[in-house]
Parts: sequence; structure tokens; C-alpha cells
Amino acid sequence: MRMTRQEISFTFDGRRVQAFDGDTYGSALARARVDVISRSFKYHRPRGLLCCAGRCPNCMVTVDGVPNVRACVTRAVDGGTVSGQNAWPSVRRDLFGAFDRLDRILPVGFYYKTFIRPRAAWPVYEGVLRRLAGLGSVRRTPRQADHATKRHMFCDVAVIGGGPGGSVAALAASQAGARVVLIDDQEQLGGHLAYSQATVTGDDVLNGLRGPEASARLEKLIRENPLIEHLPSTSAFGIYEGNLVGASRGDSLYRVRAKQIVVATGAFERPLLFHNNDRPGVMLASAILRLAARHDVRAGRRVAVVTEDDHGCAAALELASSGFDVTALVDSRPAASDQERSAAVRSRHIPVWEGATRIEVVGRSRVRQLRFDSGGGRRSVNADLVAMAARPEPVVSLLAQAGAKLVFDGSTGLFVPAECPANITAAGHVEGISDIAGVLKSARAAGTRAALRALGQPVATPARPLPGAPIGAAPPPPATRKAFVCMCEDVTVKDIKLAIHEGFDALETVKRYSTATMGPCQGKMCHSLSAGVHAGITGQSVGKTGLTTARPPFQPVTLAALAGPHLAPERQTALHDRHARLGARWVDMGEWKRPFIYTTVAEEYRAVREAAGIIDVSTLGKLEVTGRDAGEFLDWLHPNRFSDLRIGRVRYRAMTDDAGIVLDDGTVARLGPERFFLTTGTGAFDAVEQWLQWWLAGSRRDVQTINVTSELAAINLAGPRSREVIKRLTGADVSNKAMPYLAAVETEVAGVPAIILRIGFVGELGFEIHVPAEYGAHVWDTLMDAGHEFGIKPFGVETQRVLRLEKLHIIPGQDTDALSNPVDSGLGWIVKAEKSDFVGRAGIAALGSRSGRPLLIGFEVTGGGVPAEGAAVVHQGRPVGRVTSCKLSPGLQRAIGLAWVNPEHATEGSALSIRLGEGTSGTTTAARVHLAPFHDPEGARLRGGG
Amino acid sequence: MIGVFKRLKMWSPRPLKKTYDVVIIGAGVHGLATAYELARRGVRNIAVLERYYIGAGSSGRNTAIIRSNYRTPEGVAFYDQSVKIYEKMSVDLDMNVMFSQRGHLTFAHTEQAIAGLRVRAEINQLTGVDSRVIYPSEIARLAPAVDLSSRPRFPVLAALYHPPGGIIRHDAVVWAYARAASRLGVDIHPFTTVTGINHGGGVVTGVDTSRGAIGAGTVVNSTAGWASTIAAMVGLRLPIVSHPLQALVTEPLKPFLDPVLVSATLNVYVSQTDRGELVIGAEIDPYSSYSNRSTLPFMEASAAHVLELLPSISSVKVLRQWAGVCDMTPDYSPIMGFVPGLKGFVLDVGWGTYGFKAGPISGRCIAELIHTGVTPDLIKPFSITRFASGEMLGEKAAAAVSH
Ligand SMILES: Cc1cc2nc3c(=O)[nH]c(=O)nc-3n(C[C@H](O)[C@H](O)[C@H](O)COP(=O)(O)OP(=O)(O)OC[C@H]3O[C@@H](n4cnc5c(N)ncnc54)[C@H](O)[C@@H]3O)c2cc1C
Ligand code: FES
Repeated sequence: MRMTRQEISFTFDGRRVQAFDGDTYGSALARARVDVISRSFKYHRPRGLLCCAGRCPNCMVTVDGVPNVRACVTRAVDGGTVSGQNAWPSVRRDLFGAFDRLDRILPVGFYYKTFIRPRAAWPVYEGVLRRLAGLGSVRRTPRQADHATKRHMFCDVAVIGGGPGGSVAALAASQAGARVVLIDDQEQLGGHLAYSQATVTGDDVLNGLRGPEASARLEKLIRENPLIEHLPSTSAFGIYEGNLVGASRGDSLYRVRAKQIVVATGAFERPLLFHNNDRPGVMLASAILRLAARHDVRAGRRVAVVTEDDHGCAAALELASSGFDVTALVDSRPAASDQERSAAVRSRHIPVWEGATRIEVVGRSRVRQLRFDSGGGRRSVNADLVAMAARPEPVVSLLAQAGAKLVFDGSTGLFVPAECPANITAAGHVEGISDIAGVLKSARAAGTRAALRALGQPVATPARPLPGAPIGAAPPPPATRKAFVCMCEDVTVKDIKLAIHEGFDALETVKRYSTATMGPCQGKMCHSLSAGVHAGITGQSVGKTGLTTARPPFQPVTLAALAGPHLAPERQTALHDRHARLGARWVDMGEWKRPFIYTTVAEEYRAVREAAGIIDVSTLGKLEVTGRDAGEFLDWLHPNRFSDLRIGRVRYRAMTDDAGIVLDDGTVARLGPERFFLTTGTGAFDAVEQWLQWWLAGSRRDVQTINVTSELAAINLAGPRSREVIKRLTGADVSNKAMPYLAAVETEVAGVPAIILRIGFVGELGFEIHVPAEYGAHVWDTLMDAGHEFGIKPFGVETQRVLRLEKLHIIPGQDTDALSNPVDSGLGWIVKAEKSDFVGRAGIAALGSRSGRPLLIGFEVTGGGVPAEGAAVVHQGRPVGRVTSCKLSPGLQRAIGLAWVNPEHATEGSALSIRLGEGTSGTTTAARVHLAPFHDPEGARLRGGG
Repeated sequence: MIGVFKRLKMWSPRPLKKTYDVVIIGAGVHGLATAYELARRGVRNIAVLERYYIGAGSSGRNTAIIRSNYRTPEGVAFYDQSVKIYEKMSVDLDMNVMFSQRGHLTFAHTEQAIAGLRVRAEINQLTGVDSRVIYPSEIARLAPAVDLSSRPRFPVLAALYHPPGGIIRHDAVVWAYARAASRLGVDIHPFTTVTGINHGGGVVTGVDTSRGAIGAGTVVNSTAGWASTIAAMVGLRLPIVSHPLQALVTEPLKPFLDPVLVSATLNVYVSQTDRGELVIGAEIDPYSSYSNRSTLPFMEASAAHVLELLPSISSVKVLRQWAGVCDMTPDYSPIMGFVPGLKGFVLDVGWGTYGFKAGPISGRCIAELIHTGVTPDLIKPFSITRFASGEMLGEKAAAAVSH
């Protein structure tokens, strides 16, 4: 007895459609006799439900603003808004439908042959083409509900497909003790059993049950099985390297990592080829049965069955048992091979027509009649539904993607997997086994085998009988204007013929030219169909023709599901809220947020040059490098030397790659005989750590590295009065004698253990203070308090850049690029050529033989203006260099910068002509090369003597 | 419209001869353009040998971005010539290759990246290529779908706008060259694998193939991703590492995106074809491989990144993903020309992720080189000798994600 179901309603193209709770939009439209659901891509032909399984393009609609949704597998929601696509004004009355009559002038690839001349007209034509292209539209506004999720699952056995085969394989695997994930794209397990009337045999748990009962039994057994996790309504769309299964359900992504994968994707019908085989009302037989069984919807009353093999008899019988008036079984073969079944059909008073040719559907937006030649005359059969009953084909795409070898089984005319990759097993109908008993046996064995293997027991794969001998040439396809091979792309038999006649000589080139199999159904309906047609036209065997490459995803996946939840991590230093309270403006540097500026450059600049300033440099990469060979290892990685660095000293470092290109810079301090403290630039940290690890991998050196970047906060205190400030915070002797320039001291600052480095990127007496991150804010506060009376100010990255530019200190990455070597970057002084080999040595040594290399130089603008960073240096209208850094110097009251220029322009005092950048239409300004630092060229302030 | 009735007779199957003056290995855009240009110069007796079908390599798998807004003057001048040939190709080769010049935008999300774009804009302008740095108000006009708010983790700050850039129907380019070459008498042999190269005393004399040995005066290596394997046949080690490069395509949508969008920071680019599909790609995979298998992490990362730029497409579905193999050089520039000490062997390789756009001009230059024996100026900077002398070109910043 059927329970009374709740009624709901939605609109389709503005028209109200009644539905029951549990309906899909597709089933409700079928019940409401809405025949035309979509319009085809090219000819705008009316299209209706075809597969009712989410595998074809015919029911794609826009639902609540989401384009290209498949109505037949989307649960109807009360109040939903559904609209047709690619049609105007509506799919029912689409004015573009006129294109259907233009097929003679719009043959395959017509766009390659037209709109060529005049050349200038192409953009106009293109505009028209673009207006006609595409199916659904995207909404301008982003979707609000960002509910995408991503789940990582690990199991012994993943079973793909929850039909009878997959379900039994999952049960068998769990019985052998394996943890199983069972992925099925339907709401309920059991696949086609739900609408099959036959009695099941072949497995103990199902023996003797009728289809729907068997399917309920499977559902129950799996629900109660603690070892099996069932993902319903979830499509497995790909099997990737490392036995990773990608699956999705709406905007949720599942990444299932399985030791063993059982592919039980079953088999599926495909369309047949005849005139107007795409009319609304022409459906796969399984689709009609599924609608009837699942949703109690009869898509029509009088159904004519078209077939080319014995599957037609089975379909006719099933349809008759499901209450349809079967008006004909039209078979293109001269005689059925299964005489017994054929007799069964006749005994139900279904007229059987054999040897049918020139099959044709009559009716435009709905089937009215089926016509064909048979028994020496033209016949016509009234019908409002045509069932295409072709032998279901193994759904081998996932297997093929995963690398399985397919062979063509001549006895059945099907492609079946011959050899599966390691750790992947095919089970059931996908193997080419079509009787239910055989499917269940194969599946149980495959499930058990996979489980045992996953649990570490080797099991041999039973030898499979070789497929039947290949049959000869494929039969030629029907010669009609409108037999569609590929529904998505509106490719007809005629189009494929034309492509082959035009000289496209391989299935892959025909595919690309005709675009058959390249539409939204991803070839599910047309993959083998088009191969068969190709073979039929070229006179080759289907086996030799082969299939085109199967590419993931097997089912479409939303970008939202793939992207997962929107996570946009940002890194904040331990002092972040201090900066926020000080009103800092932020800048992104890699993942870090850094204070760009607090007040004004002028004010911050003055504090540093005249009193004291502090800047948060916690974002520097920090590594401890320890071990017996640490010094030697650092020597190997750098053009300069560290093994001779004295304990308590710090030295500038710049690192080069194999080719001698500058990678990054920073400092190395020696804190103990086997203990070095290394800092890197903010952005380069990951790369440097990886670089160290790369060189250590497989090396016998006794070296350990510890990444202490987030463990330490770092503050740079700089300015003529900085010593007075720090003196108040530490017991250590900070006099120039005890802690001279380039000293590295471990001590306490503000009662906290600290490393102090006497260095100064900004060119003043400076102390770089590293303290445990949890005390960072405390030390910052204490410094600010102690510095108050001296006029201490925090300064941001922007001010720091100005300050360092006055010293012509470079920033690798900004002032260097993928071709910059240390010598030409002004770092020649670090290269210790006499040193034994180091990374990059050969590249640097080879420089000597090259002339004309550009050099990095300092410059000052004499002609006014501030050239933009990146602006070209020009000479007689040709580029001779580029500006890498340029700022207005508050000290000099003019712009200064760094630039790469050709060597003839790189000598002290050379006049340069520099463009000002965008918005200046190429205006240039005058500048002069200035090789020495602008600020404190002797470094007296930096050394901080006196 | 008359054109639709013509039969496009593509290329004709011909018997494999025993010897050819020039044997070109690889029927991608480079091999076919070279064959066509040689034939146009009157060279006869040319064969193109292809392991699979015509265009089976990266020429049939790329995302078809055509542009010339490179970073070095050498690169800009070279690619600019190619763009010019592409602009006339439909007429010249009598097939509509659908060169869709709807502009190319490379985004900057940091100040430093803006400077990087400006370097290119400057070189482009000084070389006569239309390209400039633009800011959000203009970006909004050109690509209204782009999220220019502060919502993204790395908001868009500026873009390099290159109006002549765009995309093309890559298969049509391959077919147009194949057809034109075939008409001028070039033999194109698909399903013919080169298995060895015969050489001795510093001279190349022919190739071994899956269909027998063939004599040849000149052998051209235009096998892109497999370039090293062919070079190894003459004992040459190229400074090339092959990496997979992946791409994906979505279901067709009504066109809403005109220009190509590229973001190096987000490691993603996207364009919308005339069919309405969105084509999305990224940088090469970080490992070396000859595998054409695509990966799930690529789709996940690309999806996440493209949604930062175009949040409104979150419910759009991916239909297909694929991979090709790219022959990467250390300086993201090709290797073209003769090989010192090996007569009759010509390289047209190192095309990495950016070689499709270069096909026409390389074909022209390589043909000139073979025909005259003199290296054209345009490709002198791309000689293999630059790696020994250290005179590399700095195109990485302009080619890593942009292709
Ligand atoms: C996903 C992807 C996206 C890309 N996007 C762009 C882009 O947007 N813009 C751009 O300009 N470039 C792009 N590229 C790069 C571009 O596709 C290639 O650089 C270019 O196509 C190379 O052309 P080719 O003719 O040299 O090589 P291919 O087209 O690869 O042709 C080489 C041929 O050699 C054949 N071959 C190999 N070995 C043998 C043998 N032993 N015997 C016979 N034949 C052999 C191969 O089968 C192949 O067909 C992209 C590449 C990929 C993979
Ligand atoms: S009818 Fe819905 S996808 Fe085929």
C-alpha cells in the first residue's frame, strides 16, 4: 500500500508544477506531462528526459539560480524555481529552434570554414557566436551559503557502485574483516533491482527474493554493518594515483584513500541510432522503468520498443509487466537470437517487427509515431513513448582512467576490462557479466579478495576467460539526417561521416573536430556509440578503432566542492595586537601581515635617524643549525665563509643556487662551537628551509636544523639613542667595546632570555633582539616605555625600505631576479673565490668570460619626480635597464633608488634617463648613478662608536 | 557563408619514402609549421613523423593562450612576430582558427608584484607591444565578474593589460598547418614512432622508426615534452626537465568573461572559450614526469584559487581534466637552432608551458635556418650555447603561470 505523500510545488519557466515530496524535478515534470525540458546546444532542438540517471545532457536546467543542474536526479524542493536554458523566450517556444532547419549550412565544423574574410569582421562574428554559446548563466552575485565541506577517509576497501554487485562486494569484504567505504550515486542501494521483477539467485543473502525485496535486504544489511560506511547519492568521479578515490555529493568532497578498490559500476544503456532519436519521449528503456518504479510516474502510455539485440525482448516484457501498453517491438536484426524470449513477447500480444530499417520518429515536441520498413513495407506504429533498448554496456570509464586495459569482446560487442591496475578489482556487470547470478558471484569473490589483500594476505586473481573473438567490420550506421550520436553537441551520424571524409583519420581527431563526446555528459551516452559509428564508416572493426581516452572527472563536480571551505589563513606575529592598537596600516608579505606604516614616513624616519625606532621583524625566518659539521655545511651553501666565524659574532649571508643566482639573504650568528643561528628574509623562509633539507638529505654531515621562526619574536631597535634605551632593559654590557658592531650575544632583555645581534639594516646603531614569542609583547612594551623619554617611535616596512635605500642595501627578490648573481648585484665582496667548492661556484666563476652584463647600481633623481618601481631606464628610446626600488628620501629630499643597467651606463656619475611609469605617457626624468651609500657612507653611525 | 559547403580535405595519407631531405619529428604546431614554411620556401621532400595522431602532444592539450607581453626584449620581439602571424592565419591558411583577441589580464596582489608587471609593461611599450598596468576601476570594466573587493585573502591591486592577447582554437591551428603543408607536398605520417637516429662522425644521416629506417639530410627535433628522449638518441643531454602541466574545463556557460585572467600569486589562470566553457590552469606540477595522468590536488587547488577571483562560479561544474608534458628549461626560454658539432640536427625544443603561441614564428625561423644554413637574428638568443656561457634569459617571472 502506498502511503499518502505530501504535496509540494515548484515553478518551471514560470508555470506551477505539482509534485510529491520525494520527487525529483525530473519525475515531477514527467508526471505533469512537461515534455520539453531543454534545448539542444547547437540546433536548439527540443529535448526531454532521456536517461533519468543524471548521465545525459537532456534535463539540464537552472534551479534557484544554479545553472546546468540535472532535473532527473535533483530532489524537488517546495517553492523551487526551475527554468530552462539556452532558449528564448522559453524552452517550450524557443525562437532559435529555427536553427534545426539550418543543419545543411551548419554542418560539423562549420565555424572552421566560415567567417574567415574579411579579417576585420571576425570579432563581430565572434560576438554573435558567443551570444549563442553556452548553456546556463552564472549569477553575478556570489552564492551566500558557503557550505562546502571536505572529508578525508581511509579504509581497507573502497567499493564504487552500490548496485547488487557493489553491495554484495562490500558485504563480502566486511565479512573478511575489512573496513569498507561504499560509494553509490543513488539514494538507495540495489541499483536496478528496485525496478526489476525477476527473482534473484546467485548469492545466499538474496536468493529467492524479488528485485525490490532484494534491494531492501541489501540496504538493511549494510545499514546494520558497523564495518561499512555507505555514502549515498555520492558520485565517485575519479580514481587517482595512490588509490585515491575522489567523490562528491553536492558541494561536499570526499577523498577516499583505500588499500584496495573494487569497481562495481555496472552497466548502462546507450541510445540507438535512428532518425529523430532525440525527440522528447524517446527514452532509454531503463529510464522509463526507473521512473515508474521509483516515482510511480508513467512517462507515457503507449510505448514502442526499439532494439538491436536480445535486450529488447527483456525490456518489452518488463515494460508490459509495469503496466505499459507496448505497441511494438522493433528489432533491426533479421531475427532475434533468443527465440524463447521472443516467443514470450509475442505471447503477450506485442507485435514484433524484425529486420527493421529506416526507423524514424514522428512528432516534434513529443513522440507521436514510430515508422520503419519491415516485412517489405513501410510501417507506422502509434506511440507516445519510444524505449531504446540496447544491451547495457559496462561502465568502464573509471577503470580506464585508472589505467585498466580494455578489450573488445567480439561475442557481445562490448568493451570490457582485461587487466586492472594493481589494487583495483572490477566486479559484476562492469566485467561484462550480465546475468544477476554471475554478477553476484563475481562480486562476492572480488569483495573477499580485495579484503584479504588489504589485510595483507596475498591472493591470486583468478584467470578470466578471454573475450570472444572480434567480429568483423562494424555495421554501417543509418543514412539519415538526424540520427544523433552525441546529444550534448548535436553531432549526427552525418557529421561524423563528413569529418572522416574530410580526412580526419583517427578517432581522436574526429572527436576533436566534431566535438562528439566532449559535452556535458562527458561521453557517458556517446563514447562507444561514436566509436561504433566511426568503425562502421571506415569499415574497421570496433575493437581496432578503440575508444577515446577517458578523462576524469567521470561525473561533473562543482568548483565549490573541489575548493572546499573557504580558508584564507594569515600569519600574525606575536606583536600583532600592539601594532593594531598603534593604528598600523597593514601590508601582506607572503602569508604574514606586517605593519606598513603607523604615522608618516617622515615622522618615523626622523625618529630612527635622530633618536630611536623599533620595528617588528618577527617575520624573519629563523633557523638553528647545529652539529659537528654545521660550519662546514654553511660554507658549502654560501659563497662566503662561516666555519671561521668566532663565537659571539654575526655575519651577513647571501645564498646562491646551483647556477650562482642569489636566492635570499640574512645573517648567521655563531652562538657556540657547533651552534649557529641563521635568519632569512620574510618571504624566502620556506624555500631556504627546503633548500637546507634538500642538501642534507642523503648527506653524511652531522647537521641538524630547527625551525624557530614562530618560536621567537624579533624586534629591531635602531637609532643613535638605541644604546641608551636597551641599557635600561638588560644587565649585559652594551657598550661598543663589549658589544661592538656584528656582536651576537645571548643574554636577558626585560627579564627574558634573548639573543641580541648588533646589526643595522637601516644604517644606524642597531640591536636586533630575539626573544621567546610569548614574551614578545612584553619586551616591545618595555622598549617603548624605556624609549619614551628619547622619543622612540615604531616604524613600519615602508619607512624601513626608505632607510635601507639610503644605504643601498638590497632586498633579494625585489632588487634581484632569477638571473641575478651576487657579483653584479653588488655583493661581490661576500664571494670567497679561494674557498673550496660551494653551491653556485661554477656559475659565478663563469661570469668572468661574459661581457656586457647588467649591473645593479644606486641612483639619485636629478630631474624631479619619483620613477615607479619597475620603470625602464632608456637610452635613445631603447630599454637599457630597469628600476627595482625607488623612494623619495626624506634626508636628501629627492628620489633615490636601485636599478639594473647595462654596464656602459653603470659608472659613477653616469647620466640616466628613467621613465616615470604608467599614466605619464612615457615621460622620462634625469638621474645620476651613485654607487656609494647616500647615508653614512663610511658606516660610522652603524658601527656606533663613541 | 559559402564556405560551409566546401569540403575541408585535411591531409592526405601518402606512402612512407626511403629517404627525405628533411625529417621532422613530432606533428605538433612546431613540427607542422616548420614543414609548411620549408615547403613554402620551395624545399621538397619533407616528412613529418608522429608517434600518435596529428596534434597528440601538447599542441592538442594546451590552453591556447596567445600573447606577447613577455619580460625580456628578446622574448617580446619574438612572440610579437608570432602574434602577428596568428592574426592573419585564418586568411593565410584558409581555415578559421578563431583567434579571439579579447585581452589578457595578469593580476598583481602585492606592491612588489605591481613592480614586476611594470617591468613588463615598460619593455612591451618600448618594443611596440600594447600592454600597460591598470587599476581596479578599469579592471572592473573589462572583467566585471572579478571580485575586486577586500574579501579575498590577497585582493587584486592591479593588472597588466594586454589587449591583443587572447585564446585560439588550438586544434584548428594544428589542422590548418597540416593541411597547408600536405597541399604543398609534405608527407605527414601519423602513427610512426622514431626509435633511433642514425649518425656518425658528427653527421646525422637518418632515423629508425616503427615502420623502418629512413634516410634524412636534416632531422628536426620538435617533440616538446619528449625532446630529451630524442636528443639522447644522438648522445646529446639537454638542459631540459619534463614536468606535467594540467588543466581543466567546466561545463559551458553563457559567456560572461572576455579577457584571459592570470594570477601568479594564486597560481591560476582562466579563460572562457567561444563555446562558453571555462578553461582553468596553473603552473607546472613540481615534480618531473612523462605521465599524462591528472591529479585530484590539482583540481582542488585550481578550484580554490579561481574562486578567489570569480566567487560567482562556485556552483559551476568541472567536466574534464587532463595533463600534458612540458619541456622546461632553467630560464623559461626555448632552445632553437643547430647543435655545435652535430651536422644535420636541429633543435626546436624547450617550449615548456608557453610554446603554442610561438609555433608560427618558430616554424618560420627554423625553416629559414634549415634552408639558408644561417641562424636568423630573432632566434640567436635562444641558442643551446647560452647555457655554457651563462647568457640565460629571464622569462620565468613572465611565463611561470601565464604560459
Ligand atoms: C596543459 C597545457 C597548457 C598549455 N598552455 C599553453 C598556453 O596557454 N599557451 C602556450 O603558448 N603554450 C601552452 N602550452 C605549451 C604548448 O602546448 C607547447 O609548448 C606546444 O604545444 C609545443 O608544441 P610542439 O609542436 O613543440 O610539441 P607537441 O605538440 O607536444 O608535439 C610533439 C609531438 O612529438 C611526438 N613525439 C614524441 N616522441 C616522438 C617519437 N619518438 N617519434 C615520433 N613522434 C614523437 C608527440 O607524440 C607529439 O605529438 C601548454 C601545455 C600544456 C600541456
Ligand atoms: S534525463 Fe537527466 S541526465 Fe539524462
